[in-house]
Amino acid sequence: MANITLTSSDGVDVTVERTVADRSVLIKNMLEDLGETGESIPIPNVNEAVLKKVIEWCDHHKNDPPSAGDDDDNRRKTTDIDEWDQKFMQVDQEMLFEVILAANYLDIKALLDVGCKTVANMIKGKSPEEIRKTFNIQNDFTPEEEDQIRRENEWAEDR
Amino acid sequence: MPPVMPQTPHKDDLVETWSFLEDGINSVMHKLEEGVDMKHYMALYTAVHNFCTSQKAVASNQGLQAHRGGSLLRRTRSQTALSQEIYRAQHQKLIPLGLLAHLLGEELYKLLGEYLSRHLHEVHQKSLAHAEEALLTFYIREWSRYTTAAKYVNHLFSYLNRHWVKREIDEGKKNVYDVYTLHLVKWKDDFFENVHTKVMEAVLNLVEKQRNGETIEQSQIKSIVDSFVSLGLDENDSKKSTLEVYRHYFQVPFIEATRRYYENESRQFVAENSVVEYMKKAETRLEEEKARVGLYLHSDATKNLTETCLDVLVTAHSTLLRDEFQILLDNERQEDLARMYRLLSRIKEGLDPLRSTFESHVRKAGLAAIEKVSSEGENFEPKLYVDALLQVHTRYQNLVNEAFNGESEFVRSLDNACREFVNRNNICKTATTKSPELLAKYTDSLLKKGSKAAEESELEEMLVQIMTVFKYIEDKDVFQKFYSKMLAKRLVHVSSVSDDAEASMISKLKEACGFEYTNKLQRMFQDIQISKDLNTSYKDLQDKVLDDDDRKRMVDAHFQVLGTGFWPLNPPNTAFSAPPEIVKTAERFQKFYFDKHNGRKLTWLWQLCKGEVKANYIKNAKVPFTFQVSTFQMGILLLFNETDTLSYSDIQKATSLAPEVLDPNLAIFLKAKVLVASPEGAKPETGTTFSLNYNFKNKKIKVNLNIQIKSEAKVESDDTHKTIEEDRKLLLQSAIVRIMKSRKKMKHVQLVQEVIHQVKSRFPPKIADIKKNIEALMEKDYIERLDGDEISYIA
Repeated sequence: MANITLTSSDGVDVTVERTVADRSVLIKNMLEDLGETGESIPIPNVNEAVLKKVIEWCDHHKNDPPSAGDDDDNRRKTTDIDEWDQKFMQVDQEMLFEVILAANYLDIKALLDVGCKTVANMIKGKSPEEIRKTFNIQNDFTPEEEDQIRRENEWAEDR
Repeated sequence: MPPVMPQTPHKDDLVETWSFLEDGINSVMHKLEEGVDMKHYMALYTAVHNFCTSQKAVASNQGLQAHRGGSLLRRTRSQTALSQEIYRAQHQKLIPLGLLAHLLGEELYKLLGEYLSRHLHEVHQKSLAHAEEALLTFYIREWSRYTTAAKYVNHLFSYLNRHWVKREIDEGKKNVYDVYTLHLVKWKDDFFENVHTKVMEAVLNLVEKQRNGETIEQSQIKSIVDSFVSLGLDENDSKKSTLEVYRHYFQVPFIEATRRYYENESRQFVAENSVVEYMKKAETRLEEEKARVGLYLHSDATKNLTETCLDVLVTAHSTLLRDEFQILLDNERQEDLARMYRLLSRIKEGLDPLRSTFESHVRKAGLAAIEKVSSEGENFEPKLYVDALLQVHTRYQNLVNEAFNGESEFVRSLDNACREFVNRNNICKTATTKSPELLAKYTDSLLKKGSKAAEESELEEMLVQIMTVFKYIEDKDVFQKFYSKMLAKRLVHVSSVSDDAEASMISKLKEACGFEYTNKLQRMFQDIQISKDLNTSYKDLQDKVLDDDDRKRMVDAHFQVLGTGFWPLNPPNTAFSAPPEIVKTAERFQKFYFDKHNGRKLTWLWQLCKGEVKANYIKNAKVPFTFQVSTFQMGILLLFNETDTLSYSDIQKATSLAPEVLDPNLAIFLKAKVLVASPEGAKPETGTTFSLNYNFKNKKIKVNLNIQIKSEAKVESDDTHKTIEEDRKLLLQSAIVRIMKSRKKMKHVQLVQEVIHQVKSRFPPKIADIKKNIEALMEKDYIERLDGDEISYIA
């Protein structure tokens, strides 16, 4: 199968196998609609560094069976991440979020899940203060507001 | 040099974004054949994506400030698509409703819908210029263009599908569909609703042309069908489709038109053609319509279309068809009968009236065949009778198999008819027992030596045919009686054509009626086998003990010892003094037998014995004649060893034979000129004297004088009928006792029913006879009557 050239938002061409590119439902649909013309495909929302990171993941997963779709509850309910993906996600926060955005844009469901799970694991078991610290968020609630929110969410607390 | 990437619109600006998208959709909808390049494709997708993820539009609604702070994670209340994804991935089931996201996209979705409505309005305006086939061509072209475009647009808007549409559907919003389905819904509401009547008119005209024999563009109809099927959307799940639209807008008018068409056609055709021609026409039409489904209709139509056609083509004319049935039967039009069967078998209860017609037709045919046999006088061969029965049966069995597909109900009608004419016809109108008697006689004629059925396989086949008739015989006990009589004769006279054939026939009867029915027949068979062994050991013994003198006078004899209970034989009906020549031999055997089986009683059945005597006295014969005679005849002839002339009373005194036996035997001798009467021509009676005829002449050296006497045969048959009545009484009584013994108490009516059930395999009992036998058993204190019509068993 032919190779596909992708052009990042900052104008860099990256060449990949068709099977790797097909992990993106966006690219897969387009190639099916238009046929392979040999033109390079512009990816206007993703820069070179992120695009290469995403392609690395797609290349590793190019032979995965197609996902069972949204109804696959097991996949959604667990925060387990396979070992390779865990290592893959060991990047700085900026990159992590860029990868998640790119996966959402390119419609790569499995990568989006892995990204979201990684962030979820960063939140899990932490107090609000710790979470604010982790993600560098300034607390802009008044004490009254905080109190009210706590009361409203009491039912969800672990006791 | 790649084409320049089109400038994507500002993501926060709805007006700018939509006008950019509308341009793109327009070119997909109208100029797809010119192709879409990747830059545009990506730009359009990205424009949708960017609009849906633009945070400013949302944030301004919230009146809260978003914090970026080197992180992309926003506060839970700011609800971007991204934070939603993260949040849902972990806590999907726990999202408090008050915090539910407001996803962007509704405006785009609405604008797209409005665009499609505008487009379809234009299509409708253009469609007004077309009619009939041109309209179909137009519809199909526009449909194909539209659905192809829909696939593209669906992909371009896939971000909208994945987020905003999905959320709306998950929340249970009605009337929100994925972008592709939106296209279909719009087509149906804004175009289809306005044109379907005209489109269907065109389709139906086309179908009518084809039914009239013209060639049409079938693929057009196929495309229309496919389009109608695609428009069937499940209200509850847009991913599933239903056939509602197709059924309602296509199938209903189609079926109606079909009904009208065939109503007219069949009415006209029937008026101008014969029924046979009409059946051919109807069958062809049914085939055509069946094929039509495969050619261009949805398979869902099969049942409905077939039922409609059957209703109009067959049910509506079923009376006409049935009226023709008798005519076809009379003319033996097997092919047309088969066609009628095929047609009527497909409608509800279509065949029922034919069955009774068929049954009475077969019965009449059977009766007519028997009539013909009986018209040839009293003394026809049993073979003639059985052949007549079989011929009718075979002819109509073939018809059932060939024309009526061997259908079980027709087989039953055939059986009913055969049972009727086998048991109740012109020949057995005096007594139903005539049929089994004739059948048994015919069987005897086949199994007796000298029958014409030469080949063994041929004989076997004829036995199978006999069983066919036997199956229909109601008085099976009568057949049993006659059969066992004749079997006894064949065995005693060693005149069976083959043991294998006998055994085969018995096993066939056993298969049909059970062990009890053939028990005695089998025992008779065994007795003959045992007797053979007995004779062998008797001969061995004689070789040892007899001296020369004994040997000289010995008569070479063969003995058969028959069990009284199994053989339908009676002791002689006349006294008989056996001639001294054989008395000695008989006594010796008797002694031998009593030594072996102490305490048994032997009765000599002289009337069944036979032997040969050599006539040494006739001088003009080079080789002495041998007379084959019965023992009675032997007794008479041996008297002439002492003297040449004897008077009637001398003979009677010496043999002790009763006149009924003596007279006909003497008559046989006179007729064969073995003896000469004096005075000449005198009958065998007191006063007549008999002399040995020294000038006896015959072409054969062996002369058979052992001829059955006519009156004997008649008496025998009458006797058999008499014993049948006796046996039936016993059979009824034993059935009654058996039933009462197991049930202890029973209502009278039930008892009668149960008795009928038990004995009907042997003969059809009369209720009066059953009642009579119940009374008889009460008198004998086997059973007693209780209050309330109940009967009880006395232990």
